[in-house]
Parts: sequence; structure tokens; C-alpha cells
Amino acid sequence: MSTMDSISRLVRTRITQIVIVVCLLSAAAGYYFSNPQLDAFNAELNLWNMDIVIFTLFIGLITVFFSYSKSVSARTSEWPFRLYALVLIAAWIVMGLYSGLYSDTYQTAYLSTKITLHIAILGQLIFFYLSAMYRTFRVKTLRTGILVIFALAMILLNSPIITSNWSPADAISYWLLNYPGMGGARAIVLVAGVGGIILAIRILMGLEKSALRATGG
Amino acid sequence: MISVDPWVWLSAILTLCSFSLLYGDNKFFKFAEYTFTAVVIGHNVVMGYFTLKSGFNPLFTGQKLLLIVPLILGLMVIFMVWRKYAWLAAIPMAIIIGVSQGITVRALVSTDVMGNVKAVISEGSNFFIGNPTDIVGVMLRVVFTIAAVSYFLFTFAFKNTASKPLEYLRILGKYVLLIYIGIYIGNQSMQNSMLATSAINRLVRNWLGFG
Amino acid sequence: MKLPELKASQIWAIVLIGYLIPAFIPLGMNPVISQATQTVYNTIQSLPPGSIVMCGGGGVFAFDLESSAGLIPAIQQMARNGVKVVFYPMWIETMQFNKYCVDSARVDEKYGGPWKYGRDYVFLPYIPGNEVGLVSFMNDVKKTVSVDYAGTPIDQLPLMAGLNSYKDIKLWICAEWDGVTILRYVTGQYGIPVMWFAQSSAYAAYGSYMSIYPGQIYLTNGALGGAQYEKLNGITGLGHAALDSNVMFTIMFVGFLVLGNLTMLFGEKNVNRKVKT
Repeated sequence: MSTMDSISRLVRTRITQIVIVVCLLSAAAGYYFSNPQLDAFNAELNLWNMDIVIFTLFIGLITVFFSYSKSVSARTSEWPFRLYALVLIAAWIVMGLYSGLYSDTYQTAYLSTKITLHIAILGQLIFFYLSAMYRTFRVKTLRTGILVIFALAMILLNSPIITSNWSPADAISYWLLNYPGMGGARAIVLVAGVGGIILAIRILMGLEKSALRATGG
Repeated sequence: MISVDPWVWLSAILTLCSFSLLYGDNKFFKFAEYTFTAVVIGHNVVMGYFTLKSGFNPLFTGQKLLLIVPLILGLMVIFMVWRKYAWLAAIPMAIIIGVSQGITVRALVSTDVMGNVKAVISEGSNFFIGNPTDIVGVMLRVVFTIAAVSYFLFTFAFKNTASKPLEYLRILGKYVLLIYIGIYIGNQSMQNSMLATSAINRLVRNWLGFG
Repeated sequence: MKLPELKASQIWAIVLIGYLIPAFIPLGMNPVISQATQTVYNTIQSLPPGSIVMCGGGGVFAFDLESSAGLIPAIQQMARNGVKVVFYPMWIETMQFNKYCVDSARVDEKYGGPWKYGRDYVFLPYIPGNEVGLVSFMNDVKKTVSVDYAGTPIDQLPLMAGLNSYKDIKLWICAEWDGVTILRYVTGQYGIPVMWFAQSSAYAAYGSYMSIYPGQIYLTNGALGGAQYEKLNGITGLGHAALDSNVMFTIMFVGFLVLGNLTMLFGEKNVNRKVKT
């Protein structure tokens, strides 16, 4: 094993685990213990974390640049679209750096492209949603029946055509959401919280390596 | 009156290209897809540049030279894209994971777990306070929460006779979760409906000038 | 009589027509004010002039558009009442969303409104790190953020002179998708009330936080809540447009539900079978 391999192995295993333990325990302990040195250390660590995260914004550009340029030079399928995307990325960066993030030009361009597309892509879901609902919301069992009844209740009780003609509708929908519905909501939040705590413990103990897989860990 | 603003036309064309997916995968949708990808990446880079300027301003103005350390660590993160040198990104990633998990876990403990448990206990002690609909509602809330949480208890197997009541509680929990999912689906559908409204209104009102 | 199964394309055509009708012909639906929306309105209305309110969170612009229906009239309300607002972007799109809402509210002096940048409202730059940035900001504002979105040192902005930590914040308004992070930290760890103009799905999923911190957290219900807030402020906007299409959606939902079940009963052999529940 070469020296570089030994160093990389040491970094990926021991050093990484030590850093995670120190950072995690310090950040968690800072909430429960009042200590000026610990508070100062945590404040500095938080700032470092924020500054490091900024650099992750550039990873997408590098990945896409290498992937798309390889595709364009090899003339694979969709290469014209990838070439167009590379040109658009470059033009967008120049426009953004020149005009500024809060300029009216940038804002209009962003709203007219990315936001419009995102709304259209998400808005299309209603078509798939209603056609899937037509096929799946068929009351064959008690379970489906309960699902359908409560979904229908929320939609009807929040519909303006019902609420403007029947005054108890809003109160009933509020009651359904905040009493029977909240049982399930609370349980999911609680259990997800427990899951999150266990994940943090597993990361602390070095059992959870999925987050560092991209670094070869 | 149809709009003459080129940005509105661009917006309308991209919306129609996106909706063309309903007809089937086609070149127009691919054009929209790659436009979306390119703008997202371009925006990330522009945002990253300006955030670097603001985030490292104390370093550039000489007020806080210690920030050279996160600057170097941040540059190491970029090596993640090269398999051979990805190990260089391990230390800064470890800082990100450690700090964010440490801060997250304290919120999960105090708010999501203990907060909900405290709320259930305090409601349980106030069972008979308020008007009849509130009393019934609070009872349902407490019982349903306990039942739904018990549904997620996979640690124990319920096999003997003594565990029958727990088995029934788990079945109740299953139906409680179905009630919640039904309510959630109802609300989620209203959200999707609103997005479709926005997309179609942009075409009809902003572009074509109707309504 | 055997009912045929509708094809997906037929359903989509009906849905498209259903959404085109209110787009061409506004139905003029009137929202009914709910208790939660009224409480949010009253809370903001009761803020004394000069109060500093934080507005922000982490969100995806497309999802947050739903809650902009409530945020835009809230910004107008705060501008009328002399409340100062600092916009805090926690995700990379939030800066654009904040600017969109302020421009749409037309409260800046360039539109003839009462607000002057730096004195009445400030846009902070993107603060990375999500909850890490939020905690750092709440503990020490000046250490976390040194310049505003345009690179102006925050010491030069009059509004930021009065904002040093969470102790100077009266209220936090969130109209973003990741409002739950705001609830967990801003209310959970720093005790500041939060008014969340929540998306409909978030209202269903995170309404339980109102019972964990009673009297400190209130959520409004998506675009419908936004329409109610618009009505309280005497304007019509995206919320009212969403009401009209919501009516069509309800009709289509009920119609397809009934049709689907009738097709199940009369479209195929009705086989008796015991299903274990």
C-alpha cells in the first residue's frame, strides 16, 4: 500500500470519526451545558460549517460539466441538448455575476425560466394525481374506505363552495385536523424524531457511513 | 390582449413545453428539462459566488484571518467529484455532518420527542376540561397518539395471550394512521391544485390576457 | 350496463378543461375567515410600531408560491403599521422569493409605499448551513452576518443596529416550505412566537406543533388561508384565484371518485371475497 493510500485510509476512517465525534458532541452539549469556552468553540465551529457548505454549491457545476462535455464530444444521444445546457449555464453565470442576484433583470429571468418550469412540472402532478385517484380510490376494503372518507372530507370541508354555504364546515374541518388527525401526525413526528436521534447515535458510533460514501468512506 | 413582453412569451413557451409531457416524452419536454437543469446549476454558482463574498468578508477585509481554515476546508470539499482524491473531502464533510447532527439532535429531543410526550401527558390530565366537542376531541387525540405510536413498535413480537390488548392497540394505530394519511392526501391535493392553477393562470391571464 | 374504464388521456382532458374554466371566467368565490387565520392577523396587528420581525426560512420557490398568497398581504399590513422586517434566506431560492413578495406587495418607496430599504426592511444574504446558520444567527447576529445582500456592511443599516440576537426579535413569520426547522429552533429553543403561512400539506403534517407550544405557534392553511388573509387586508390575489380552481378541483375529485367506484361495481364481475382487515 503506497503512502498516499495509507494517508487516505487514515483520513477516511480514524480522523473522520474523531472529527465527527468532537463536532457532534460539542454541538449537542452546547445546548445543555453553559460554559463560555464551549460556547465560543461552538460559535466558531458553526461559522466554519456555514463557510464550508458554500463550496458544495459548486459541485453540481463540476459534475455536470464533466458529464455533459464527455457526452457532447462522444456525440451520445441528447448531445445537442447537453451542449445547449452547457452554453446556457455559462450565459447564466455571466448574466448573474454582471447584473447581481437582486437585480430586476436576474429576478425576471429566474422567475420566467426556473420558477415557471418548476411550477409547470409540479402543476402537472394534478393530472396524474386525479387519474391515479380514479383508479385507486375504489372502496373495496375498510382500510381504503377510511382513507377515502377522510380525504374526501378534507377536500369538501375546505372547498369554498361548501364553506360559503354551510357555516359549520370550517369548524368541522379544523376539528378533524386537530383532534383525530393530529394523533397520526404526532405519532409520525415523534417516531421520526426518535429515528433522527438514533441516526445521530449511529453516526457518533461510526456505524452509519452512508453520508460519507461520496468521499470513499 | 396577448402580451408583448418577451419574458412572458418565454415563460409561456416553457410552460407549454413542460405540459407537452402529457402527450408523451418529446424534444420540447427535453428542451424544458435541460433548461431547468442549466438554470438551477447556474443559479447555484451565482449564489455560491456572492455567498462566498459575504461569508468570507471578514477574511478579505483582514478582520478575521482564522477564516483561512474553513476556506481551505471548503476547497477540499470540491475534490469529492474526483474518485481518486475524494478522500480529501472527508474531513470537511465530517465537520458538516457532525455539527448539523449535533444541532439537529438537540431539537429532536426537546421538541419532536419530549415536546409531543409532554403535550400528550398534559392533555391526558385535562381530559374533562372544556366543552363536550373539545373533551371528546382531546380524548381521541391522546388515545390515537398512543395507538399510532404503538403501531411503530417493531421491537417486540406480540405472540402470547397477555399481549392481545397491545395487538388491538396496534390495529387501532393502523387505522389512526390511515385517518391521518387520508387527511394529508386531502390537503396535499389542494397544494397540487394550487400549483396547477398558477401554471395555467400564467398562460391564460399573463400571456393571453384573459380573465 | 357495463361502465367503461376511462383512459388517462380522457381524464387529463377533463382536468385541463376544469382548470381552464376559472382561468377564463373568474367564479368570484369568497373565503370564510378561519380562527387560525384571524389569530395570525390579530397577532401581527398587535405589534407595536418599530418592532423587529424576522421573515424567513428555507424553501423551494414553487412550493412557497402557495404561501406567498398570505405573506404578501402580511407584508403590506406590517408596512402600514410601522413594523420593521428583516428577511432571512435559509435556502438558495429564498432570496428570490423574498424579493418577489416585497415587490408584489409594492411597499417600497419606489412604488409609493412607506418602506425605505435599510430603515424599514433589510434583505440578508443567503445564510448557508440550514439549522446551523439559524442557531449561529440567533446567538449572535453580527458575528454570523457582516454584510447585506448587496455587500453593504450591516453596521451601516439603521434597522440592523437594533438587532443583535434573538432577544431583539418580537416575532418570526415563515412562509417557506421548511418551516418546521423554524418551529423547532426559533420557538423550541429560543421561545419566539412563529406565525407560519404554511402550505396545505405542511398544515396537515405539522399542526401538532401548535399543541406543543400553545399560543406561540399558529399555522394558516395553504392558499385557502392566503385567500382569507387577502380578504382581511382587502386585496385579491393568488389566494382568490386558487379558490376558484379549488371549486373545480372539488367537483372533479368527487366526480372521478364516484365514477371510479361505479366502474368498480358495474364495470367488472362483482366477486364476493373476504378481505382480512
